[in-house]
Amino acid sequence: MSTPAITLDGLTKDYAVGFWRPRPHRALDQVSLEVATGEVLGYLGPNGAGKTTTLKLLMQLIYPTAGTAEILGCPAGDVDASLRLGYLPELPYFYDNLSAEELLIYFGGLFGLSTADARERATTLLDRVGLGAARHQRLRRYSKGMLQRVGIAQALVNDPEVVFLDEPMSGLDPVGRRDMRELIRQLGAEGRTVFFSSHILSDAEALCSRVAIMARGKLIATGRIADLAFEVRGWELVVSGASADDVRALGLEESTREVDGRQVIELAIDQPPDRILPELARHGAQVVSLTPRHESLEDYFMRVVSQPGEAS
Amino acid sequence: MAIIGRIAVHVFKESVRDKVLYNLVLFAVLLIAASYLIGQLTAGQDVKIIKDLGLAATQIFGLFIAVFIGIGLVSKEVERRSIYSLLSKPIRRHELILGKYAGLVLTLAVNVVVMAATLYLVLGYMSWVESEEFKATWLRPAADPAMLPAIFLVFAQLALVTALALFFSTFSSPILSAVLTFGLYVVGHFNADLRNFESVVDSTAAAYLARALYYALPSLAPFDVKAAVVHGEPVTFGYVAMTTGYGAAYVAALLLAAVFIFSRRDFK
Amino acid sequence: MNRPWWERPVAVTVALTVLVAVFVTTAVVRDRTYAASAAETELLYLPSGDMVERMALSFDSLMADIYWIRAIQHYGGTKRSESTEKNYDLLGPLLDIATTLDPHFSVAYRFGAIFLTESYPNGPGRPDLAVALLEKGIEAMPERWEYYMDIGFIYYWWLQDYETAASWFERAADVPGASWWLRSLAATTLAAGGSRESSRMLWQQMYDSADNDWIRVEATRRLTQLRALDDIDQLIALAVRFDQQAGRPPRGWEELIQEGLLAGLPLDPTGLPYVLDFENGTMNVSPESELYPLPGESLPPLPQ
Repeated sequence: MSTPAITLDGLTKDYAVGFWRPRPHRALDQVSLEVATGEVLGYLGPNGAGKTTTLKLLMQLIYPTAGTAEILGCPAGDVDASLRLGYLPELPYFYDNLSAEELLIYFGGLFGLSTADARERATTLLDRVGLGAARHQRLRRYSKGMLQRVGIAQALVNDPEVVFLDEPMSGLDPVGRRDMRELIRQLGAEGRTVFFSSHILSDAEALCSRVAIMARGKLIATGRIADLAFEVRGWELVVSGASADDVRALGLEESTREVDGRQVIELAIDQPPDRILPELARHGAQVVSLTPRHESLEDYFMRVVSQPGEAS
Repeated sequence: MAIIGRIAVHVFKESVRDKVLYNLVLFAVLLIAASYLIGQLTAGQDVKIIKDLGLAATQIFGLFIAVFIGIGLVSKEVERRSIYSLLSKPIRRHELILGKYAGLVLTLAVNVVVMAATLYLVLGYMSWVESEEFKATWLRPAADPAMLPAIFLVFAQLALVTALALFFSTFSSPILSAVLTFGLYVVGHFNADLRNFESVVDSTAAAYLARALYYALPSLAPFDVKAAVVHGEPVTFGYVAMTTGYGAAYVAALLLAAVFIFSRRDFK
Repeated sequence: MNRPWWERPVAVTVALTVLVAVFVTTAVVRDRTYAASAAETELLYLPSGDMVERMALSFDSLMADIYWIRAIQHYGGTKRSESTEKNYDLLGPLLDIATTLDPHFSVAYRFGAIFLTESYPNGPGRPDLAVALLEKGIEAMPERWEYYMDIGFIYYWWLQDYETAASWFERAADVPGASWWLRSLAATTLAAGGSRESSRMLWQQMYDSADNDWIRVEATRRLTQLRALDDIDQLIALAVRFDQQAGRPPRGWEELIQEGLLAGLPLDPTGLPYVLDFENGTMNVSPESELYPLPGESLPPLPQ
């Protein structure tokens, strides 16, 4: 068996909280996890679950209270590991006075790339994240979404084997989210190990071979999403060819909105779609999509802790 | 070493982008305007005044750069969170500190060299236009190479102040760091007064305390030989070497302490 | 975790200790090799208090304090130094800078004047500079009668110009709020200036009106010196009696003791024996005594 790309073993971090008489607060509690090479892992959990703390420990921006973290067989923070990884911090920020290209050349230089090589890499990467046109602009004039894209580009400057992304979707508009999802999918397809965190379950659904779910500093579940028994809380039904009157006839006008000439209907758990679909079909409507709405990570966590037997 | 160099070059580039070197233009304008005006006013003393002014301005402009950029070198990276992506690159934390320090010292060196060149140019011009009889009244020649040790010691002093600013900024806020650095700068110019304290006070405890403070605080006054060179007092090589050695040891201690604190810090 | 040495507390403490030792040693060697302290070097290039005042921006009184401390250090350090050639040249300029920066620096005028008047080797012996300093103080604060009295005092004690002294005491008495005894001091000075009794009165008044210990200690010393002068008068009377009995002056105290004129070695008020210098025919306090040298009153010659 080959060395896992990422190994967390009993990783624990206490922060001192309170100014006057600091008391330790456990931000991360005995987290053990292995991520195999080539795996795309969604590291999920509500805000404050310890996701960013885990990533900072992996980058050795903070030191663990107990336990170890290894990347590609090297202890976290080791230069040999840094050479082969990329990291996108949460809401990244760089140097106001540099352009995106200069930033990538500077960072490329830290990996030992010559200026010419680094410039070539910068061009490729900035095109890849959709910033080719803005590459000579100073970063102070970049929007939040553009900075997120620069953040991805700088994480890939050394062609890393393992990529860590902290909340890559936050701060992005719908187009940005779609691009980011596509990019993560490509990174996985290129054989890189991807470790990304998110507080939104749907971010992970289509992308991950596996997810790890965190809550209050603890790892509460790992596995494939389909196996993790997320409760269905309702459905989102999109139909075309139905008029507002048709929907009203079914008594659904409260939960329907029209988007681009299509009707998007939110169905509650007590309105199973198999009862409504024949009715809609009778009015000449065609089903575009039907998606189950899963419970939120917060709800999942609350449910799992209140029924201890179910957590794995 | 290569990493330290790359970080240093980055600091230098950033300071150029921040228009730090614009102060050189201000310096040149100030010096040329002053030499013109003073030339109209006084007789015989004008070269001395230009030297005083040029050397003092070199020190003051450098001091502001050393303090205001020095306190931001590390704390700005932390505050704006750019340190997160930077530290995930294959650099060690001590390389970051040393690179930042080297970068600012490089900026200061460029600054001091350009200012010194401007000063010599202005003085050279004055020497060129004045008559021989008038030049005879000068204490020292205008473009006097004896000023070089003073300029070098100004630079050494700025390197020490930079290390102070960097050291404070590894654990305190930028404003507090600025206050502490300026405070030590002022104290450093007066702490020779602590050395002879036992001739004023009777208490031996107080005298020992004063002496301990004198040696622990950075002594900056010995770096200041501006007045001596303008008046033509000799500044020996031994003195310059010894003062530089003092500064180097002090800087090494500050950088080591900064590396130690910074390496163990959590970036929450 | 395997940390490099510069991240380990013990190793860093050791390395820091070494570095601190290096720079402290350098500082010690530098200070020994290049003797002139920075304060003094700097002073050589500061011609006037006005210039410092302009340079001090808004920190005039703080700078005044610093120059006052430098003045004390310069005076105290030179006085205590082992050197045989004591140079007090910087004292006057330092006091001038301090009082220019802070014209209301009362201590600097009064003490400064005392330092300046002290005769060599205990001071520069410059009553003229002291008078100038106090006149500068009067210009800034004409209501301080103490400055007039101090000037009168310098004329009385150091310059033995009793007429001028009396006129300064009069001027002091004219200042509203001045002590009542100044007018009688003026009268006594004019009538019997230089006499031991008027001196005693002067110092006694100084002692009684002193507002700090330093002046009180100084007044006590001066009063003790006057007592020593009284002692010497009596010893001279004994020597004269010896001369009358033996037909020659005494060669030493032993002879007076053998004759039963003295019970033992005559001691001055500080407990050191008086010195009888047969060669020069004088009596005085020992040069080791705190009272040495006795004030300007010329000592009466021994009978020859």
